[in-house]
Amino acid sequence: MKNKLIYIPAILILFVAGCSKSYLNRPSLNGPTLDNYYTNAEQVEGATALLYNQVWYSWLDKAFHCIGEVYGGNMITSAGDANYGNNSYVYFTVSATDGQDLLAWQAFYKVAGNATVLINTLQQARTDANASYFDPGIAEARFIRGVAYFFIARTFGDAPIVSDPVALAGSGDLNVPRYLQKDVLRFALNDLEAAEAALPETPFQPGRVTKYSAAGMEAKLYLYMGDYDSAALKANEVIQSGKYSLYPDYEAMFTTAKANNNSESLFALQWIAGGYSYSNDIQAYAGPSTLLKPDFGTGYSSVIPTIDLLNAYEPGDKRKQWSIMQEGFSNPNWINSNFPNGFTYDTSLAGNSDDATHITTGTRSNSLKYINGPASNGGDPTSAFGDALNLYILRYADVLLIYAEGVLGVNATTTDVSALNAFNLVHTRAGLPPVTSLTKDMILHERRVEFAFEGDYWYDIQRQGFDKAKDIINAQERGTYNGDGSIAHQHANFTDASQLYLPIPSDEVVADPELAKPAVPYF
Amino acid sequence: MKTTCRMIKLLKRGFVSIFLLLLLNHSYAQNRIITGEVTDTSGSPLLGATVTVKNSRAATSTDVNGRFTLHLPPNAKALMVSFVGMQTKEVALTENNIVSVALSASGASSLNDVVVIGYGSIRRSNVTSAISSINEKDIKNIPVAGADQMLQGKVPGVTVTSNSGQPGGGVSVLIRGITTVNNNQPLYIIDGVPVPLSTTSGGNDYLGGINGQTQESPLATLNPSDIVSIDVLKDASAQAIYGAEGANGVIQITTKHGTAGVGKLEYDVYYGQQKIQQKLPIMNLREYATYFNSVLNDSASGVTDTIGEFKDPSLLGPGTDWQDAVFQTGNVQNHQLSFSGGQGKSTYYFSGNYYDQTGILINSGFKRYSLKASLDQQVKSWLKAGININLSSTDQRISVTDGQQSVIAAALYNSPAVPVKTFDGNYASTTTIQNIGFGNSQNPVALAALRNVQAKQSKAYGSVYADVQITKDLSFRNQLNYNFQLNNNSAFQPNVVNPDGTIISSPSKLRVDKANSYYYGLQTYLTYNHVFDKHALNVVVGHEASYNRYDESQVSVTGLTLNIQSLGAGTPDPASPAGGGIYDGSSESYFARINYTYDNKYSLSLSGRRDGSSNFGPDKRIGYFPGASAGWTITNENFAKGSKILNYLKLRIGAGSIGTSSAPNNAYSTNIRLANNAVGLFGSSSVPGVVANVGYPALSWESVITYNAGVDANLFKRIDVTVDVYRKVTSKLLLATTLPSFAGLDPNPPNNSYQEIEPPYTNAGQITNTGIDVGITSHNIQTKNFTWNTVVVFSHYKNTLDKLYAPGIILFGKSQAFAPVTLTESIAGQALGSFYGYVTDGLYKSMDELTKGPNQGLPVGPQGLWLGDVRYKDLDGDGKITPADQTFIGNPNPKFTYGLTNNFSYKGFDLSVFLQGVYGDDIFNYSRTETEAEFSVYTNQLSTVLNRYTSSNPNGVLPRYNQYSQNNLKISNRFIENGSYLRIQTVSLGYNLPANWLTKVKMSTCRIYVSGQNLYTFTKYSGFDPELGAFNGSVLLQNIDYGHYPNPRSLTIGANIVF
Repeated sequence: MKNKLIYIPAILILFVAGCSKSYLNRPSLNGPTLDNYYTNAEQVEGATALLYNQVWYSWLDKAFHCIGEVYGGNMITSAGDANYGNNSYVYFTVSATDGQDLLAWQAFYKVAGNATVLINTLQQARTDANASYFDPGIAEARFIRGVAYFFIARTFGDAPIVSDPVALAGSGDLNVPRYLQKDVLRFALNDLEAAEAALPETPFQPGRVTKYSAAGMEAKLYLYMGDYDSAALKANEVIQSGKYSLYPDYEAMFTTAKANNNSESLFALQWIAGGYSYSNDIQAYAGPSTLLKPDFGTGYSSVIPTIDLLNAYEPGDKRKQWSIMQEGFSNPNWINSNFPNGFTYDTSLAGNSDDATHITTGTRSNSLKYINGPASNGGDPTSAFGDALNLYILRYADVLLIYAEGVLGVNATTTDVSALNAFNLVHTRAGLPPVTSLTKDMILHERRVEFAFEGDYWYDIQRQGFDKAKDIINAQERGTYNGDGSIAHQHANFTDASQLYLPIPSDEVVADPELAKPAVPYF
Repeated sequence: MKTTCRMIKLLKRGFVSIFLLLLLNHSYAQNRIITGEVTDTSGSPLLGATVTVKNSRAATSTDVNGRFTLHLPPNAKALMVSFVGMQTKEVALTENNIVSVALSASGASSLNDVVVIGYGSIRRSNVTSAISSINEKDIKNIPVAGADQMLQGKVPGVTVTSNSGQPGGGVSVLIRGITTVNNNQPLYIIDGVPVPLSTTSGGNDYLGGINGQTQESPLATLNPSDIVSIDVLKDASAQAIYGAEGANGVIQITTKHGTAGVGKLEYDVYYGQQKIQQKLPIMNLREYATYFNSVLNDSASGVTDTIGEFKDPSLLGPGTDWQDAVFQTGNVQNHQLSFSGGQGKSTYYFSGNYYDQTGILINSGFKRYSLKASLDQQVKSWLKAGININLSSTDQRISVTDGQQSVIAAALYNSPAVPVKTFDGNYASTTTIQNIGFGNSQNPVALAALRNVQAKQSKAYGSVYADVQITKDLSFRNQLNYNFQLNNNSAFQPNVVNPDGTIISSPSKLRVDKANSYYYGLQTYLTYNHVFDKHALNVVVGHEASYNRYDESQVSVTGLTLNIQSLGAGTPDPASPAGGGIYDGSSESYFARINYTYDNKYSLSLSGRRDGSSNFGPDKRIGYFPGASAGWTITNENFAKGSKILNYLKLRIGAGSIGTSSAPNNAYSTNIRLANNAVGLFGSSSVPGVVANVGYPALSWESVITYNAGVDANLFKRIDVTVDVYRKVTSKLLLATTLPSFAGLDPNPPNNSYQEIEPPYTNAGQITNTGIDVGITSHNIQTKNFTWNTVVVFSHYKNTLDKLYAPGIILFGKSQAFAPVTLTESIAGQALGSFYGYVTDGLYKSMDELTKGPNQGLPVGPQGLWLGDVRYKDLDGDGKITPADQTFIGNPNPKFTYGLTNNFSYKGFDLSVFLQGVYGDDIFNYSRTETEAEFSVYTNQLSTVLNRYTSSNPNGVLPRYNQYSQNNLKISNRFIENGSYLRIQTVSLGYNLPANWLTKVKMSTCRIYVSGQNLYTFTKYSGFDPELGAFNGSVLLQNIDYGHYPNPRSLTIGANIVF
């Protein structure tokens, strides 16, 4: 009998006295996890800061120009440059296997996906309902996601929407359909509205988006959808806030980081000089070799202004010299070994080979916007990888022109004072006299020269509808100057409404055959 | 800190429990009690042996350790010890209260062997699940570093393939097919201590180019001579007791312990030489020049005139034989000294081992020093304790293999016109003859000789245990297992520039990767063993907890002063910043098993394990793994007794479920990546933290369910047959998902150069293996002077990937190259790792065929598609050859593998002949895309190119010479070959010196032998060696031959001496 009692303590020891529950809890020893991070405002702000930065990089790098500017007819690419789609953006022959098409797709969805993950992550991390610093963080992420889907809808038309990538991965079915473009836009609008409701009126750090950034983006989205009343209403909200104004030095806005986050900037991507994927590298591709090659080995002039754009500026419009380098352009702050006394843009050897101090692009010009100059550029941080120039997504000038166009609406012309005031603020900054009435074409033209090289003009043309867009595009001179000054003409071949949107990359259609099928409603 | 506390608590619990038991135990340990141990002649304990007091009713049976305790009645004189299939032995009682009895077998049968089943062992005849065993004789004296490779062809259901001939190199051990798309390595348990998963070296990629095979045999650190037996648990009803981590099968290794009796001193030694099995027929300089000249006559060669030196090839010498330059005669030597024995209450075993192998490829090799000590002490009649210590240190020097820059690939395609060294004694790069550069700038000899990539491991592992006999039926065991390991991997290359400025190796670089890791586990379990009437019951209940931690750091320097291989001699390499990491994990389990046998006829085994793993989220940490099996020994029924043919017949069925927790650490949770480079946004000076991966809290165990049915039979009292059929279904595969780009996460996981958010690991997908294992042992002749037995092993499995985490998902196997090429695709419905590419349709031989054939994307013409070019099949019938015309073109998984061993002994001589083979697998001979490329005349080719299509040889086998396009080199079935082979793996002849000679030198036995390994291979395969294995163990890259390190042929002589 006694012997049998032995079992009891032994078995008790075995089964009751196991390890404590936390024995199996082994959080990462290598870095923070969701369990111990995002516990203060600084950590949340650090995460949202990156949504203004490297997630956009593969769009900024080249697709930015290909879509907004080359499609739109403001720029052409160097003949046959494979990095820029072998002229397919010049001719409107972009294929579903094009590299920039895929990169733009990946970039916009990466922005949206990063924002989505951050929204979901911050909601999970918010164990304390009173931790108010989560609110602006989540709102910023929703703002960014709204902007990303706005780009997706405009660039690709009908497109998939993923609001929970984790659920998608676990679902066992990756075949997401394309949703109607209007639903993608509405998805974007919902995000922007949610952001507007939760964002502060003034940025908590210079450059952070505010509720007016969201309102302004909503105005832009309404305008794109053709809802002019709502566009005017939202733009007016921004105007009435009194928080924004036009920046007096138009050229500086785009050429020096000292003007970053100025009074005109409602939303701009933030870049850091010095490294791949988080610097603004536009000047490496768009800038002239005479300016950049000695210091950085770059300045490829891969994308240059079109003759059509050069001819589009009205006489006296100073934005031409503030936006474009042509013969005679100079900047005394830009000093390199070729130009010890300041850079001069010299095309006088046209017809001959370029040398250290002479450059001749096909249109005898380079874009000036987002050119930050060589290492010695008056104090801005810069490197071969890129510089710290903000990339504007929404400027106050845009809000003013949206307002004017919203008021004009479907009317042929308007003399509405508030619309004229808004328009003339932009127009007169360029050194031009004020106008007394407005038409749709005047506004479209104003937008073209105001926002040239800012990646927006194609979307402005696109929203005019296929017939008008076709007329505009096919009439554009996309050629170059011959050595004798005559023009080697080139024109786009825009013949079908399907060319309004970029093709969905073929790799994606292989992975998800649903993308080849007609779009379905999301809402 | 916390962990340590917990560990101490665990230990305390263990010791407290022992102490408690001791107190209780004390109460009945009064009168004369005799304890003892019953073993077979090899010293393995026998479970369930019956011990009775002669002429008395007092009786007991032995426990899992073969031990028994018996209250002696007065007048007891002798014990009778019996065991089924063994000769009953009478043991006279003396004053000693401890006896040890060794029983010898009564007949030729393995039924009485003891099988280690995890937390115990049972007799073979009571096994109801699929377990195969081999013993020390089967694996002794084989000149390879790791015991895993020694299992090849020896165990039914276990497919063993050497992944590389590299000394100490990795081995693919598949137990019953491919269980998972992740690591398929079985769980190795050495005396209860789990061996950590594979160790890898690395660093060739740091020096430039590919990294190549970096996996080491996980058992290379274990001295094979210390092994007594290996038991392989093949089905889930047997594995379930190991629950987590047992899913790929469990290999139980039992090492030597001392046995009481006269002390033994053993010395085992062998020395061997190793050579490459064969050289490939690449062209010598004369043939090469002839080829060079003949290409002039081929259309579109681009070569317009021969060069002077080549005009008359007969004047030329043979040129450089690069195969001779990179291959050498390898040496292998092994010395093993052991002492064992014991007296009364103590037994001991000590051994020391030195193993040194230089590879057949220059500058590859492996060394091992190891020591082992085990002590077992009967402290009290009811308490036994022991310690087992293994120390080892290994040093592997690795050549770069398996890729374009591998030494062997470069040796095959480098031009014979290039010397190894120039006249001034420096390594040669390319050679220029009349302004034409020949050869490859990477001299393979220089590559092998100058680079020094080493993997060093120091390791201590083993266990400490205490066994308490609570009552005669109940025992309690506490065992602490430990494993400490230091890994020191380094990769070095000097800066070597010839006086003429030719760069041979540059810049100087050194990378050092150090890791220390430790593991400990505490097992406590109760064993209840009771035999009454016809019932035999064995119950095990226990608890186990373990913890492991891995701490790694890497530093790289460049610009080494005087090429000194020291971190201090260089400056940090900016391209390779210092790195490292710490990882830990823990698990806790409860397990139980009941084995019940009635009347030696009906057996039932039920087992279960509840595992907790830190690899999963709080809600998914616990997994339950049950197993059940039953056996019916028909021949013990009255109606079946007395058959002259069928001496023994048992039917077994079983089913069980096991799991794998092999997800990366913390994959279930969302981890934060610190974006050091993005400091400064919005003026912030702190490092922002972004989401590195999306956690998947539902992440859980990969599941494996096995159904097994088997038959064990003994025919004519001399043939043992075991046949098992099984179906194994792996589901909930732990996989990193790859999502379309529109999901917004990293579209190319896991390591995109951009800072992406990694997609989650999920549980999805299913793999099914069905198969049959057959083992036959026939004792053909058993006479006093002559014995002959035959062992046949046959294994077949069919592997199908049923589904992945979503329809249409493909797992790719890509070549190791700067621009990786897809070689295999694994999709639902196909075998894992199936080769994927185009299907050839002969060569174009007429203009008519050229104009009517499918559009291959090239214009018809000498510089495009032309006569003698490969025609591909237009599978989708669209008139064009596009990627859509690719299909599955081969399966690397064999239809079956087999082994055949014949052992003969005549008086003092023994002869063993072991054949081993594989049937029905395909090999992708990627080397031929270089050696039969016919794309450039400046690199060497196989002599098969002499029989290529030319206008004068329209029936040539190979395509025409074509330097204009890679049309003929598409990944296609052109490079798929039959991988079947039959190999004379071992022939060994030994002689036991006569006893009367030996006594003069105080030896008890001395066997000398000569042995050959890998003597001949019957195969149609055209490469060096059809045994290729899996690249670094990956089931997505099996049977791909591209500069692969072939297995050597060995001749060894040796001796086993016992004093």
